[in-house]
Amino acid sequence: MLLMAGMSLLTAFLRMGVWAPVLEFTIAALQVAILFILFMRLKGPPSLRWVFAASGFFWLLFLYGLSMTDYATRHSWPTQRVEIENPRD
Amino acid sequence: MPSSRTIAPEIQYASLAQQGETAQIGMWVFLVNETLFFGALIFTYFLYRLSYPSEFAVAAKDAVLWCGSTNLVLLLTSSLTMVLAINAAAQGRRSEMVAWLIATLALGFLFLGFKGYEYFEDVRDKVVPGLNFEMKPGEAPAGELFWVFYWVATGLHAVHLSIGIGLILYMLLWRIRRGEITPTYYAPLEVVAIYWSFVDAVWLFLYPCIYLVGRS
Amino acid sequence: MSIAAFEPGAEPAADVESSNYLTARNTIASWLLTRDHKRIALLFMASITFFFFVGGFAATLMRMNLATPGGLLQPSVYNRMFTMHGIIMVWFFLIPSIPATLGNFFIPLMIGARDLAFPRVNLASWYVFNLSGLVVLFALVMGGADTGWTFYTPLSTEYANGYVFAAAMAVFINGFSSIMTALNFIVTIHRLRAPGMTWMRLPLFVWGVYAVSVVMLTATPVLAMDTFLLAVERFLGVGLFDPSRGGDPLLWQHMFWFYSHPAVYIMILPGMGVVSEIIPCFARRPVFGYAGMVVALMAIAVLSFFVWAHHMFVAGISIYAGVVFSLMTFFVAVPSAIKVFNWTVSLHKGAILFDAPMLYALGFVLLFTLGGITGLMLATLAVDVHVHGTYFVVAHFHYIMVGATVSAFFGGLHYWWPKITGRLYPEIWARFAAILMYFGFNLTFFPQFVLGYLGMPRRSYTYPPEWQSWNLLSSAGASILAVAYLMPLLYLGWSLIWGRRAGPNPWRATGLEWTIPSPPPSGNFEHTPHVALGPYSYDPERGRYISQDGTSHAV
Repeated sequence: MLLMAGMSLLTAFLRMGVWAPVLEFTIAALQVAILFILFMRLKGPPSLRWVFAASGFFWLLFLYGLSMTDYATRHSWPTQRVEIENPRD
Repeated sequence: MPSSRTIAPEIQYASLAQQGETAQIGMWVFLVNETLFFGALIFTYFLYRLSYPSEFAVAAKDAVLWCGSTNLVLLLTSSLTMVLAINAAAQGRRSEMVAWLIATLALGFLFLGFKGYEYFEDVRDKVVPGLNFEMKPGEAPAGELFWVFYWVATGLHAVHLSIGIGLILYMLLWRIRRGEITPTYYAPLEVVAIYWSFVDAVWLFLYPCIYLVGRS
Repeated sequence: MSIAAFEPGAEPAADVESSNYLTARNTIASWLLTRDHKRIALLFMASITFFFFVGGFAATLMRMNLATPGGLLQPSVYNRMFTMHGIIMVWFFLIPSIPATLGNFFIPLMIGARDLAFPRVNLASWYVFNLSGLVVLFALVMGGADTGWTFYTPLSTEYANGYVFAAAMAVFINGFSSIMTALNFIVTIHRLRAPGMTWMRLPLFVWGVYAVSVVMLTATPVLAMDTFLLAVERFLGVGLFDPSRGGDPLLWQHMFWFYSHPAVYIMILPGMGVVSEIIPCFARRPVFGYAGMVVALMAIAVLSFFVWAHHMFVAGISIYAGVVFSLMTFFVAVPSAIKVFNWTVSLHKGAILFDAPMLYALGFVLLFTLGGITGLMLATLAVDVHVHGTYFVVAHFHYIMVGATVSAFFGGLHYWWPKITGRLYPEIWARFAAILMYFGFNLTFFPQFVLGYLGMPRRSYTYPPEWQSWNLLSSAGASILAVAYLMPLLYLGWSLIWGRRAGPNPWRATGLEWTIPSPPPSGNFEHTPHVALGPYSYDPERGRYISQDGTSHAV
């Protein structure tokens, strides 16, 4: 786990462009998976726990996915890009 | 729950095993809710980061990387000590269990200490939106959104961690002292451990969100 | 606490035989510290009744104001009234209404458990509810918020003058109460079913509450985060919804409706469950298509998360997103229609008894159908552009939330009243109130469809004089509705003392809750029941019915 944390830190400093965040979050997801399965004793019966552990993330997909149908296609978004800069202070 | 007797299940359960298992399931169900709570916050982060990548990169450079990294290590270690405490509880090694729990507590307090120091640095760095904020070149105006997210996310995380610390203290000073955690029934401790690890998992996600942006 | 004054159940005389949950240890402390789900249900009943009348009072002022174009209230007072009416009715009455009272009382009884999985969490839920109630009352007494119950940004964060912060915090705290209740129900239904009570033998009310718990558990945290961010923004003047810093005010709406659209289903799903209990019992027929009903309930629960942005068609979202959400909204109509169809077919060839619960249930089906069909009109993009933000929308959601859900709540209350109190209510009065409620409701809200179609905007304290006749009809209906809502308080209260004693099973129904004495003993079941078959085994041809524990009875 600590090793993975180190890897994650390393990726931040390498010049990897868009892949750096992708890798960082993949590592984070892997770490969380390990944490859930080993530390939080997800393995072993009852399998019901799997359902609940997964369902929170599954439900988040609804929020992320469907909101993105709006943000990905809304033509006045992001506002600051459209209206040129207009900082209040 | 009355003490000094042998532990009996509450009236709605057939057995202690069922009660313990149900308590664990209950915590998992609660974590569904927590996942969505933090997930919604991280959604706002993703949305704005995707929309304003360069502003976020500039703003996030001011995050105190070494504090965040140290805290990540501390929390990961604390999850481990927590698991070791449970193993000790399951095998009835009481003093060992108490020792590991105290270690977990210490790591938790250490986390809060570093976090407090980091907040202190942040205030000096003028990155507190609304109260003490100075736009740095290149981050206006969306960089301020990053710092709103930073304070909300780390603040809520610290609240959760403090609740975790409170739960461990409750276990140590109340349940364990009164002998209510036994090798046959240590589910309350496991429930606390599940919660503790979840708070750890939140930090695992917040870490790349906050500290690893714009470093290269 | 103002709530304690409503303590119910203090009345039953000491002569009730042996000890039941009402008479066992009847001290104030034993009520306030109880872990018995039945007592907690009554505590909730007292709290939500109180808030129902507070919210109703605001509605009364609104309808009085709208009776004439000139109005009665200051415009700013009117704004605060409709806001507080919305907030209180949604979060402090409708959402906890059926789950926290009837659900709390009957879920353990119907699945053969002796209590919910976490009784202390259940009690904590009530205290948290009242805490949030105190905060909202504080906001109300100090003058109220004036943003509408939807707290749209940037109105709520920058321009509104009222106690928005307090109101938003009340909603935030209230969320914890819903989450605790939902968590408890989910775990209880998963883990504490009696032997033989398989998933497909669960009464539909249990399924309805299960579906609603899933929605509460997964939607509420998003609202909690949303209101938290709102509070931060209002408090600090800087926040994630602030467009001058690149934030998106619509993000508030996205996250708000991610909760609040499913919240509409939080209100209606348990109502569907109640009606699915009442209709088979009073038609003396098994419910038609049990499995279809279950699938429809769960489908509505899940689909409810796919449709939220249909509240935002004219708010500036992308047109493509509008198309997606419009389509998804049409999909929700499918399971809803399945349910209406199944209820109707369940009546076919039944020996229908028009007792008060049945009248409420039939009212539910009719009002739900009307509300649902107008919902489809609103889901259509082009029509929505025309009627968005008018009284058409107001009428539509009142048909669902008030017409349908409150009917179901009263139906359930009458149906289970003998079980809760051990007394029968006066049937004639109850039927009269049910019919009056149906009549008053339609008179109040049908004219609002017309007004909305004519273009009268919602949340307006005044209107052109030519619309007065419709508004007057609506206000007249509201006064009838108010009488119909007050009547049960009187005759149900009367029945507590003078009502005839109900046996264990006055309706000859099949659920496990009817196999134990009324009122139930503190531990519910003396022996854990063994469940032999599914619910609704009514056999009108042979004039028999079979309880879920397997015992057969003659009618």
